[in-house]
Amino acid sequence: MEAVAQKTSVYFEEFNARQHTLGTWCEALQRRGIEAFEQRGFPGPREEAWRKTNLKPVTDAHFPLAEGKGAAPQGLVARLGEVGDCYRLTFVDGRFVADLSDLAGLPSGLTVTPFSEYNEQAPERLVSALGSRANVESHPFVALNTAFFVDGAYVHVARSARIEKPVAITHIITADADGRAVYPRLVVEAEEDAEVRIIERFIGDDETTTLVCPVSELSAAANTILDYSRLQEDGSNIINIGTANLASQRDTSLRGAFVADGAKLARLDLIADLEGEGGEIDCNGIYLTDGRQFSDFHTWFNHRVPNCYSRQRFKGILQGRSETVFDGLVKVFECAQKTDAVQENRNLVLGKRAFAHSNPRLEIFADDVKCTHGSTVGELDEEALFYLRTRGISVESATGMLTLAFAGEIVDMFRVPAVRDHVRDVLMHRLGVADINVGAIL
Amino acid sequence: MALLEIRNLHVSVEGTEVLKGVDLTLDSGKVHAIMGPNGGGKSTLAKVLVGDEAYEITEGEILYEGEDILELPPEERARMGIFLGFQYPVEIPGVSNTYFLKAAVNAIRKHHGQDEMDAMDFLQLVKERAKRVKLDESLLQRPVNDGFSGGEKKRNEIFHMSVLEPKLCILDETDSGLDIDALRIVSDGVNAMRSEERGFLVITHYQRLLDYIVPDVVHVFVDGRIVKTGDKELAKQLEVDGYAAFEEAAA
Repeated sequence: MEAVAQKTSVYFEEFNARQHTLGTWCEALQRRGIEAFEQRGFPGPREEAWRKTNLKPVTDAHFPLAEGKGAAPQGLVARLGEVGDCYRLTFVDGRFVADLSDLAGLPSGLTVTPFSEYNEQAPERLVSALGSRANVESHPFVALNTAFFVDGAYVHVARSARIEKPVAITHIITADADGRAVYPRLVVEAEEDAEVRIIERFIGDDETTTLVCPVSELSAAANTILDYSRLQEDGSNIINIGTANLASQRDTSLRGAFVADGAKLARLDLIADLEGEGGEIDCNGIYLTDGRQFSDFHTWFNHRVPNCYSRQRFKGILQGRSETVFDGLVKVFECAQKTDAVQENRNLVLGKRAFAHSNPRLEIFADDVKCTHGSTVGELDEEALFYLRTRGISVESATGMLTLAFAGEIVDMFRVPAVRDHVRDVLMHRLGVADINVGAIL
Repeated sequence: MALLEIRNLHVSVEGTEVLKGVDLTLDSGKVHAIMGPNGGGKSTLAKVLVGDEAYEITEGEILYEGEDILELPPEERARMGIFLGFQYPVEIPGVSNTYFLKAAVNAIRKHHGQDEMDAMDFLQLVKERAKRVKLDESLLQRPVNDGFSGGEKKRNEIFHMSVLEPKLCILDETDSGLDIDALRIVSDGVNAMRSEERGFLVITHYQRLLDYIVPDVVHVFVDGRIVKTGDKELAKQLEVDGYAAFEEAAA
């Protein structure tokens, strides 16, 4: 075989030149990340899972790691309160900011720690959990995150601890991160019989173009209740390409609430693994796009054992010339008898030039299962609109009412009250119906 | 001045003429029935009166309290006091019946320069009117018409009407699909609203409804126009003779 001069990527060069800031405990993992990325590279335009996502804005440029934390403007800081009373962990441009966090009075059994607080030695269970779920080897953005994360959030809930107050992890992007990359990382582990609510939220400056690549790994042991809300409300020029892994064990109830509202290009790869009998993963999501926004949800729900239950209900509301993708898989392994899986994707296209792709996929290898999927792309119901108008309601109010009703079905599924209230506000604002008092219908 | 005056109304849908010169004058305090065979254009007339944009008005006028309303959108007409009880009430999942009515009531009040209705007063009004049409209270909180039976939907229309208190009430085949019991309840609801300030246009295929809602004037509507006008005896005659004679005349 001929020896060929190896061309290395800008990310590889950046990795070798950078100053490693976290402790030695993650050095090997980060090395594994960059090597995986170098091996794999960015997805080509023909890769099926990436075909509809235009990655040119990412691959045409180099987004070096954001250097430090910028000063978060007051307007963004004020938004921290929007999701109610929480234990708060706040990161600015990827780095923990103690002043914007509030971990006072953590109950026993709950550990919430930024990675950067572990100096030379992180807890063994964190080290082994990191990268155990997310697919470092085959997912290029997981690989990049793994190579470059400079901080992260670790949430651990001890056996039988029941934590009622949500833990909110917020990522703020400031103008200082313009043209740069931020790699948020989250690990959540709930031990047997525990209960916890996690809110992961992304907000930031509207003028700033930053590549945000979050990787979140959540695992729920037997008999736990784990509620995860992921609110992508980035600034309007952000590129947010993330992955989230959810894993359930025996009799676990794992619920996900997903919102995609911000960013100009957003994608979430959601991988749900049902690994213990009687487990349930129930995910509801809503995406709101306008202008030239692009939003993409790719899901992989893997029923690996019998008697599990999964739900995926995602709805999109498209305005302007925006484009969305929902591409969802339910895979039932051969042994996973008595699987009960439902996948639904409904899109309401309000913009004349907006476009929704919907691609449900079922792969079923067991013979005694209940799996259904549904997918629709439609406009507002003209008859309903007319009916409302004949009772005196204006076109604007009627449109708002019908759209909110469409979204309300999903929002009502969100289990954390403060998240539900917040998302309603986001919806009303987004649909321009903030002042016509239609709140009561949701 | 008449409550409603329709003059030489011609209406087309997708190039086909469906109303071929309708003339009708309805005064406040009166109940007019429009009877005729299916497909004759009765429902079109109802939809046109409330402003359905699917129809093209090619000729004629509609005056409501002396004002030409043809250019007005449906919501404006509703706020002025025109109401249509739909033949097929639309299901609106996700919007509660009560919320919807509250929005409608307040839009109408705003139009008349009145303040929004107090929430408690509104609730009381709604409950009282629901009772009038024997509408189960649980249906108030349910999404509009969603999962309602046929009879419940029709009762819901009459319930809306009794809350909104319009001046011109158009009922399109409100009797279709109702059993005798439901028919009586719906008719009682309508009769309770009869007054000197209000006019009714009751569209029906059968005479049955007119046993309960006794009309002042009966029009026979065939092939896009009114072919005969009389009193309530005309309805009874139709019940015996059918529309055949009129249809032949129209053909």
